[in-house]
Amino acid sequence: MVFNSLTFVVFFACVLALHAMPFPWPVKKVNLLVASYLFYAAWNPPFVILLWISTVVDWYAAQALVHAQRPAVRRAWMLLSVVANLGMLSYFKYGTFLLDNFSSLLSVIGVSYQPPHFAIVLPVGISFYTFATMSYTLDVYLRRAAPARNFLDYALFVTFFPHLVAGPIMRPTELVPQFAEPRRATPDMLRFGLALITLGLFQKIVLADSFLGPAAEAVFDHGKGPGVLDAWAGTLAFSGQIFCDFAGYSTTAIGVAMCLGFAMPDNFRFPYAAIGFSDFWRRWHITLSAWLRDYLYIPLGGNRHGPARTYVALMVTMLLGGLWHGASWTFVVWGGLHGVYLAVERLLRSRFSGYRPGPWMLVVFGLLTYALIDVTWVFFRAHSFGGAWLVLTGMFGANAGAEPILLTADLTLVALIVSGIVFAHWRMRARTLEAMLATVPAVALACVWAVMAFAIVIAQGAGNAFIYFQF
Amino acid sequence: MPSSTSSSDRPGFVRLTASNRPGVAQPVPERDIPARPWRPIMLGAMGMFVLMMGGWEWYWRANGAVPGYRNSDAEWAHERRRIDHGEGAKTVLIGSSRVLFDIQLPVWERITGERPIQLALEGTSPMPILEDLADDPDLTGRLLVGVTPGLFFTGRAARGSVVKYAHDEGPSQRIGNWLSRLLVEPHFAYYDPDFALATVIERQDWPLRPGTRAARNVRKLKIQDADRNSYMWSKVELDPDYRALCRAVWAANFNKPPPGMETAAAKQKLIDDQIARAVAAVTKLRARGVRVVFVRLPSAGELYANEQKTLPRGETWDLLLKRTGAPGIHFEDYPELQGYNLPEWSHLSASEAARFTAALVPIVDRMFRDRER
Repeated sequence: MVFNSLTFVVFFACVLALHAMPFPWPVKKVNLLVASYLFYAAWNPPFVILLWISTVVDWYAAQALVHAQRPAVRRAWMLLSVVANLGMLSYFKYGTFLLDNFSSLLSVIGVSYQPPHFAIVLPVGISFYTFATMSYTLDVYLRRAAPARNFLDYALFVTFFPHLVAGPIMRPTELVPQFAEPRRATPDMLRFGLALITLGLFQKIVLADSFLGPAAEAVFDHGKGPGVLDAWAGTLAFSGQIFCDFAGYSTTAIGVAMCLGFAMPDNFRFPYAAIGFSDFWRRWHITLSAWLRDYLYIPLGGNRHGPARTYVALMVTMLLGGLWHGASWTFVVWGGLHGVYLAVERLLRSRFSGYRPGPWMLVVFGLLTYALIDVTWVFFRAHSFGGAWLVLTGMFGANAGAEPILLTADLTLVALIVSGIVFAHWRMRARTLEAMLATVPAVALACVWAVMAFAIVIAQGAGNAFIYFQF
Repeated sequence: MPSSTSSSDRPGFVRLTASNRPGVAQPVPERDIPARPWRPIMLGAMGMFVLMMGGWEWYWRANGAVPGYRNSDAEWAHERRRIDHGEGAKTVLIGSSRVLFDIQLPVWERITGERPIQLALEGTSPMPILEDLADDPDLTGRLLVGVTPGLFFTGRAARGSVVKYAHDEGPSQRIGNWLSRLLVEPHFAYYDPDFALATVIERQDWPLRPGTRAARNVRKLKIQDADRNSYMWSKVELDPDYRALCRAVWAANFNKPPPGMETAAAKQKLIDDQIARAVAAVTKLRARGVRVVFVRLPSAGELYANEQKTLPRGETWDLLLKRTGAPGIHFEDYPELQGYNLPEWSHLSASEAARFTAALVPIVDRMFRDRER
């Protein structure tokens, strides 16, 4: 079920009530585990089986890893886990994509092959929980962490509903220890957790779904090349939408976990105030970028084997990171562009290592970073290269005579909301939300909370799925 | 989670994240609770929220809105499932908004003893629904298909995706719809897509951007009951300004050909394609004994004149009946189906719809019985 639904409100109220009952801690954990399976089964019950497969395979693989002595045996168990998880991911997420590309490749060499049609339904959140469970066996394999002491704690780590379908992608060492001792939110944790849930849902339902999403859709799905103003407004709207959608989900998830007494890591840190692309990836989808760094970039050699190998590792990581987002070449290009940006930045930093920009140049670099990231969002949002090209040519003024698309209301709202987001990110770039809230008068906090809750209800969201669910 | 430790105690403190700790096991995250009086803050927020919601609800009720059930995909799917859950022998109504407004289920039930299943969708050709039902062996009863020329013969289906939704709907969506029907829809007038925040803001008097047309989306026109029985919102009938606005929405499309019909050849092809789809579906339905009747419900004023001009009966309706071989009821052919009040030209007012249904049902019934013999 999605957070922004009446079903979740009732479900969460029941879970909170159950968690507050005077049951023994193991019983509460079983309650949370069952609730998490229900949360997942509410989309499509049979897919719970995939969750079980992933859970059981990694549990036994990690147990075997601990007891194995020979490196070859350890590697075999690690590979079993990786192959099982990536195999599932490949079949459900990339099966059709691979077959279509195989067919296209054959047609290039003159062989006509029409692959059979498989109606493969993508299990929601499979990219997230397979990465979470893989990190468990990989951490044990790399001797970074000991395996969980009992199966219940481990199964709850995999399945814990706040992070299950769209992250933050948690590591076992972040969550399993939290299940060791009884946890229950203090009254202030509960209240602040509810405030975070309100903030997250406001971002998703009001900003992303009600105002920014429709403007982006109008431009990207228009079918004809937009003019400069529309192309930029549509792209900026999408930059705001994707942030509010995904950061909204993460904030809600953190709030939900906090209401139950658990801590989840930050997944976003005001990314549109990034200065440079390495800074951006330290602020955007932090848990994914750290996962890719720890389990892909570093094993590929990272920066330990000279510049050439570093750039190769960087590009491979970003290309695969792009593909993780979706089975389409547009996502690969999105990742590739980020890889190129990171490589160029690395090159420039080494060439001009003595350069220290002043405050105004930092702003210029920040805005340049944001503008270049917007270019990448075009490939992320467009359904095809043709669609992306239409918008890109519009952004650079090449669609002469394009008819206007967005109305004054759309342009005004996009300008207000997106500039508000960027301004807020700059004000907050070296702070935490909590540090800022601690300085706000209580009356103002109450007013803002009430207005956000009011806006959420009167926006009448249609329970749109979060964008990242499809990944 | 050190709730006693606030980041405000450590000026400039920014929590470390996984991005600060490469290549190591990540520790249990640290989260702060800002040192604020959260109890009064939450109570104050709740109080203000309740006041604002009360004011919002009062505002819409003062503007004539009343609570009604939402015309959602989930609600349509709920009614669609009735066919597969033992009610497939009943009469099913499909079509566009005229079937929703003009045919009153309580009146139908009073006359025949049977309450039909209402599956019509506004702004949508019935073709996707007709094809879906043609493939559903659970439907064995009678099917009334509403024909609104500008939708049926162009194949426009603003809500055609509802068929896929109904087949794919998950438990969470079903439960959500059930909760909404139980806790929200029958109690709150504000809960209507026309009164959603984005819609309200968009409909303010914004200056027109050169080269664009003002948004002319269809306004709220109806109230809906629990089983999708629908009737015209009294404001359309009683408020002259609002009625004029509703008519203007239709009129915005008068002086241009329907989409996909820009040339005579394209128009003919589109009409032929739609009729061919209907023929295929009706053939399947008849093969398993389902009786089908097409109905052209009334329109009036400039809208009727425009329909006559762009999609005249001889080029559309008559061909449909001829090629499908199915019976049809055109309001122009029956004196008892004429002379009603259609405030915004396309739909009957609530009271007129009841009167109209009472006149229509015997004709439909007669036609079905004729086919059974």
